[in-house]
Amino acid sequence: MKNKKALYAVLGVAVLGVAGFLISQALSSSLVYFILPSEYARDSASFDDRRVRLGGLVEAGSVEFNEEQLHLTFHITDGIAGYPVQYDGAPPDLFMENGGVVIEGRFHDGVFVGDNLLVKHSEDYHPPADGEPIDIDELKESLR
Amino acid sequence: MDLQLAPLGSAAAFLAFGLALYGAIAGMVGASRRDARLQTSARLSAVAGFIVATAALVVMQVALLTDDFSVSYVATTSRIASPTWVKVVTMWAALEGSILLWAWLLSAYTALLAVTAPLNPLRPWALSIMQWVQVFFFGVVAFIANPFELVPFPPLDGPGPNELLQNHWMMAVHPVLMYLGFVGLTVPFSYAMAALITRRPGTEWMTQTRSWTLTGWGFLSAAIIAGGWWSYEVLGWGGYWAWDPVENVSLMPWLTATALIHSVQVQERRRMLKPWNLILVITTFSLSILGTFLTRSGVVSSVHAFGAGPVGPAFLVFFLVVTLVSFGLLAIRWDDVRDRADLDSVVSREGSFLGVNILFVALTFAVLLGTLFPLLVEAISGDKVTIGAPFFDQVTLPLWMLVLLLMGIGPLLPWRRAEQQRLKHNLLWLGGGFLVAGGLAVLFGVHKVYPALTVALAGYNIVSLGLLLSGALVPRLRLARRPALQVIRSYAHESRRRVGSMITHFGVVVIALGVAFSAGYRVDQQVRVDFGESVEFEGYTLTAVDRYVERTPQRISAGVVIDVSRDGRLIHTMRPRLNQFGDRRAVPTPAVMYRPSHDLYLNLNSQVTPTTTFAVLRVVKSPLVTWIWIGGFILALGTLYSLSGSSRTVPARASVGVEARGEEGASA
Repeated sequence: MKNKKALYAVLGVAVLGVAGFLISQALSSSLVYFILPSEYARDSASFDDRRVRLGGLVEAGSVEFNEEQLHLTFHITDGIAGYPVQYDGAPPDLFMENGGVVIEGRFHDGVFVGDNLLVKHSEDYHPPADGEPIDIDELKESLR
Repeated sequence: MDLQLAPLGSAAAFLAFGLALYGAIAGMVGASRRDARLQTSARLSAVAGFIVATAALVVMQVALLTDDFSVSYVATTSRIASPTWVKVVTMWAALEGSILLWAWLLSAYTALLAVTAPLNPLRPWALSIMQWVQVFFFGVVAFIANPFELVPFPPLDGPGPNELLQNHWMMAVHPVLMYLGFVGLTVPFSYAMAALITRRPGTEWMTQTRSWTLTGWGFLSAAIIAGGWWSYEVLGWGGYWAWDPVENVSLMPWLTATALIHSVQVQERRRMLKPWNLILVITTFSLSILGTFLTRSGVVSSVHAFGAGPVGPAFLVFFLVVTLVSFGLLAIRWDDVRDRADLDSVVSREGSFLGVNILFVALTFAVLLGTLFPLLVEAISGDKVTIGAPFFDQVTLPLWMLVLLLMGIGPLLPWRRAEQQRLKHNLLWLGGGFLVAGGLAVLFGVHKVYPALTVALAGYNIVSLGLLLSGALVPRLRLARRPALQVIRSYAHESRRRVGSMITHFGVVVIALGVAFSAGYRVDQQVRVDFGESVEFEGYTLTAVDRYVERTPQRISAGVVIDVSRDGRLIHTMRPRLNQFGDRRAVPTPAVMYRPSHDLYLNLNSQVTPTTTFAVLRVVKSPLVTWIWIGGFILALGTLYSLSGSSRTVPARASVGVEARGEEGASA
């Protein structure tokens, strides 16, 4: 009777250990950070070749859409840093210059190649007037 | 003077709150003093509470149907141009109204219990717990998120319900099913609490609530499947499950409830797992409240989340109170509850049920972790992160496969200990089914691991169902001197729970196949097509015939007409479009061609204006996806079949041990 209990306990601990290990592996490999361009600029190495969600504003005058190839390129910026973005697909509804977007993908040599583009237009966020600096925290909060 | 609906509705909500509070207290006092008169008055207050809650519901419906914008909820969520059915279901299209609906369903179940539940020592306490839960819900309706606020200067028209919701009739169904499920599972929770309070942790609380638990589980299952179908038809990416937090929180109570409906059978038969069942029933109820908190407070970002508000914190407090009180009670009563029986053999029915329980709890834990981990990371490091679908797939898929594995063998194992000879025979057949189905799948080109494994396990499960049926029918047919059909019919009639579970398990197999193939072999592509031109996609020729605009009072639709042909033959015409409701943003509305082998799914990804010359389409081919909905239907049917007999066939057997102390049956 006592042996049986001990056996159960050992088995239970073993199962839990394996499960915990698998789960922690899966967690660390599928954790997707949400960052702004300036955060990438500050710490490029740790985000390179890692899947991230990049949030920011679409820079005015940077949008190019190839209708034949369905290829969209634009610059994403948070007022401090900016990066070119490539995306295969049509711009989604409500995609516009100076509008907020979140795009999921990876950085390759300073170019962000995204595969999932979302337009975020939050009523909470008030874009700054000309010349006024962008409030980074407010921007980030409004895009999440 | 005009009758004002807003104060009338508020009054009904306050009164319902008061009646619930009275009933909850009177019930407790009546139960602890064994005062029959107080107990009766608590029961009457449950019925009165239901009548008053119904009045509140009617007031809301009248306000919605007559476009009375002096009622705050109508002003913020309804619209004159909406068709009648949309106005009716607008009641649960936003937060305040859906809590009103939840509270009303709760009062309906409580009243039904008060009238129909047989008198026993548990009933007064269980009713009181139900009414405490009502106190919370009507408290929210009356004080925190009152949908009946008076708008002093009513607008001429409102914005209408969320565009994604009014875009599909499924919105009328899915939330109601979900609340019916949650409310249904409140009943076993209440009885379990009553059992702890009265120190009767035997099987009584489970046999009393068996049909309620199964009903709640059935509704929750149907709600999750319906929610998937809604996403599929509305969200435009051709999928039905994205491991979104809102989806996850509906899945968690379902997982623990599924564990519960299996493990209660172990307690019924073997008097084991007593504390385990109590933990499961508490967890299920707590998770349904936690889920509501997470999705209604804005703490998790999700496509479905309503905005932040005071309702979130209220649900958090309620969740904490429920969890602390019920687990605290369990701790106090631990000595009464503890199991004294032990497993004879792992290779037995109870062993397999235990295994499946561990799997479902592991699944719940994985989903909970994936859902809450981003919050943890943000709390600790300040980083904003999300956990994507890969995590959930990686962790849950092996577990789902093991669930399918146990689902096949479990019902074939006898209670206590399996006999070697029989076990070998069954395993041989099951292994054969697994190998034949898996081999055929690989032969026909299914080379991905999980889809192939799912087919193999489906074959294995079909064989298992065959063995179960033949095991039950062959001896009956051999003995009976009646025509075979009659024997089969009388078996199906007598063993409703057994047959119902077989049907339900068959539904699960069908769903598993649908999920495995639609996820494993889906083709998803964006194409651009000029009007008058065609593109090829997976053997289909898609011709963009023209664009069109359609106006109804409710909405404007702008879309494209796509002719779908195969081998030069026109087989279908599809109209993916953008629907705009009033001033709300236009929502893409996919067109779906349903076929048994695979669906063709078109979503319009570009604007349609008078000068447009081309359309951008997201084209998705999703194999076997329809079988998920069909499987869901089979599952619901099986549940219904089980329920149709549960009141007649089982209690006679189960009630033997009701008053006895649980351990006796097991140690005998």
